[in-house]
Amino acid sequence: MRIARLVTSRLVGVVLVLLVVTAITFVIFYLLPSNPAQLSCGKPCTPENLARAKQFLGLDLPWYGQFWEFLRGIVMGRTFGTGADAIVCNAPCFGYSFQLNTPVTELILTRFPVTASIAVGAAALWFVSGVAGGTIAAVWRRKAPDRAIMTVAIAGVSSPAYLVGMLLILLFGFTLGWLPTGGYEPFGDDPVQWFLHLLLPWTALAFISSAVYARLTRSELVEQLGLDYVRTARAKGLGEGAVVMRHGLRNALIPVVTLFGLDLGTLLGGAVISERVFSMQGLGALLLDSIGRLDLQVIVGITLFSAFLIAIANVVVDIVYGLIDPRVRAA
Amino acid sequence: MRKFSTATAAALVAAALVLTGCTSHGATNSAKTGGTLTLLTSASTVSLDPASSQNLATTTLGLLDRRLTTWDVQPGKDAKVVPDLATDTGRVSDGGKTWTYTLKSGLKFSDGSPVTSADIKYGIERSFSDQLQGGLSYHKTLLVGGDTYTGPFNGQSLASIETPDAKTIVFHLDKPFGDWPWIVSMPAFSPVKESNGSPAAYKKAPITTGPYKVASINDGTSLTLVRNPYWSKATDDVRTASADKVVFLESQNPSTTVQNLINGTGQYADAFGLQYLGAADLASVTHNASAKSRLATSQAGPIQYLALNTQRGALKDLKVRQALEYAVDKQAYLVATGGPQAGTLASTLITPGIAGRQDYDLYPADASGDVAKAKSLFSQAGVDPTSLKLTLLTQNDDASLAQAQAIQQGLKRIGITVTLRPDDQNSFYTDVAASNPTFDLALMSWQPDFPSANSNISPLFDSSQIGNGNFNVSQYKNPAVDAAIAAAQAEVDPAKAQADWAAIDKQIMADAPVVPLIYAKQSFLRGSGVGNFFIPSFPAYPDYMTVTLGK
Repeated sequence: MRIARLVTSRLVGVVLVLLVVTAITFVIFYLLPSNPAQLSCGKPCTPENLARAKQFLGLDLPWYGQFWEFLRGIVMGRTFGTGADAIVCNAPCFGYSFQLNTPVTELILTRFPVTASIAVGAAALWFVSGVAGGTIAAVWRRKAPDRAIMTVAIAGVSSPAYLVGMLLILLFGFTLGWLPTGGYEPFGDDPVQWFLHLLLPWTALAFISSAVYARLTRSELVEQLGLDYVRTARAKGLGEGAVVMRHGLRNALIPVVTLFGLDLGTLLGGAVISERVFSMQGLGALLLDSIGRLDLQVIVGITLFSAFLIAIANVVVDIVYGLIDPRVRAA
Repeated sequence: MRKFSTATAAALVAAALVLTGCTSHGATNSAKTGGTLTLLTSASTVSLDPASSQNLATTTLGLLDRRLTTWDVQPGKDAKVVPDLATDTGRVSDGGKTWTYTLKSGLKFSDGSPVTSADIKYGIERSFSDQLQGGLSYHKTLLVGGDTYTGPFNGQSLASIETPDAKTIVFHLDKPFGDWPWIVSMPAFSPVKESNGSPAAYKKAPITTGPYKVASINDGTSLTLVRNPYWSKATDDVRTASADKVVFLESQNPSTTVQNLINGTGQYADAFGLQYLGAADLASVTHNASAKSRLATSQAGPIQYLALNTQRGALKDLKVRQALEYAVDKQAYLVATGGPQAGTLASTLITPGIAGRQDYDLYPADASGDVAKAKSLFSQAGVDPTSLKLTLLTQNDDASLAQAQAIQQGLKRIGITVTLRPDDQNSFYTDVAASNPTFDLALMSWQPDFPSANSNISPLFDSSQIGNGNFNVSQYKNPAVDAAIAAAQAEVDPAKAQADWAAIDKQIMADAPVVPLIYAKQSFLRGSGVGNFFIPSFPAYPDYMTVTLGK
């Protein structure tokens, strides 16, 4: 019952956050000193055609009018233009890209598998390697394994994603020739190629992010292992492995899981740099392209989708937090 | 049209550490048919609808769609308009206001159905629809009734396009227009079957007339074309269609693309890049003898110029503008762009490769300008240059800023204070195309949409092209020039028209609304298996139509 109430209140919060994010995105792009209708006017552009393009794109409305039409489209669907020339976007309509002649929902659905493939694989890799590294460093703190792992972690944390990506491509793609230098192969077409194409982006992202997880896990675990309940567990005669894994790590993981949820949610909204470096067209690359061509509806759609993923990740983290830590449930 | 940010063009050009002499044109005797040609693009998607396209006749859509006419382009020769689906480049009547075309026999769509004049008419009509905006639209302002027509999807037809029979199509224009044969080479003049005409249907499975048809679209990742079995070489004098299959790999990282082409192994041997090389990439190529031999570089490309806002402050004064022609340090600009390999100094508005261009310089001076002459002209104008404070609009990338600083320093020599106003790319194009701009100077670049001096001059200097997203950035208004442009556009004799345009070029430069800076150069890299890969005199892009495999 408490969980149900927790989930409900969080979901209401999610909706409010999404509304605010959408409004802010509209305002930001409305205030930009640029004119998206110009790109849809053709060459040469006449004043009449410019006015027609503005009207057709809905850009003749003030920002709050466009915002309202956008929200209405999500619930009731939307029609751009009139008569036989109209474009119908069925509910839930998250906008329409006139430059790509595609509903935003369809764009997100076609690009999301690319981003999800990158994000989920990379997250799994960085979580496992980060937590494992942090645990080893904590158990052998101030010894060689600790120093080695923390050195790598500092290197990872300080490395820009594009640099790591390019170096991996240079080494494994061009020099050794073991892996593709970029591009995406759909899982359904060829699972082996899908895996091979994703290995480098996974590794790049894992190298950078696992560093944070290793450091966080180490510091949390070191703290936990010094607490009274761990001493009690040891005094009861529990083996060191059980003390670390069952008691220390379980508590140390609470903030790590929180961070993991947020990171995964953010990455699912678009791995912008990795997608660019590894020649993949996921949500991040689509967002960048859309900003470049002032495709406002795609920008808002992806921003909303990304915010949704982060908000949902927050909710999931809250729930998982409760499962890991009974004190949260009790509260 | 292709908009070239000064910055982008400059960066690339600047990059051009090689160029002259690297062009590798020449039909390959050993060229074979078959194989897969791979085209590497950083674009996330290849737009296939001709109605909303700004493609050049010699690039992507030319592989899929034929038009009434097309371009014959060669290195060292001016571009020519030649028949494509039509038997000739057009028969003119009514003093240049009516153009008639007859289709060749045996033309078929990729589904085997015959191509008729009605299909061409329908294809053009689609381009008027609100759903399919953004393409080259010259025809919309020329065809009678084009200003109010809104496309065929609501059952309306454009009466000024007549199709008296299945092989004849007649165009009625509002005014005489001698460049109409170029206009009908644009993507919107590709035939489209009505059953395939809705934008959604066309996007997923276009029925084509060129040597290739679409086999698969993997949006954001790849586009695969295979042979159109109904295309006949016998009816097509331009396309060689050497490869059996053409694959566009989309969303490619530019640096990875270049490195893959330098290595040139596997699929990259039979590949070329669609984007021109940046400075760093060009440097990598020139350090590799094999790759360097596979580089193709234009002799000249888009014109880069300094637009002077003729409607603001002291720049309203002709003498002041003429003084600026001498005061600008073109040499410093060229160096900031990348040196001699990045471009050649410009003095005319019509770019090399356009028929009828005459080379001249109304403001002869050293490459770094003539400060004394500039000061003398300021003196004649009664203007103290040290009192001039000008705003220079530029894009905010490093390459553009370096170029802008070269202009700033050049003008400082005579005491003019120039303040840079950097914009991001989108804001820049909105600002330069505004009706009441708030800058004095702007760094611009322009490549014509079609190889006629008309396309060099009228979009930039006709007073009807001020504001509303158009490119008369100098806000230049001269009724005599407007009239001369109208007369040259109406001239249906190409030789006379070319002479007219050359005269207009000089007439405009006498008013000094812009300072021509350089003709930028562009370089492209191919794999070792690609042959007949060259950059023609115009445009400064490879000719996809004649590339071969099996060199």
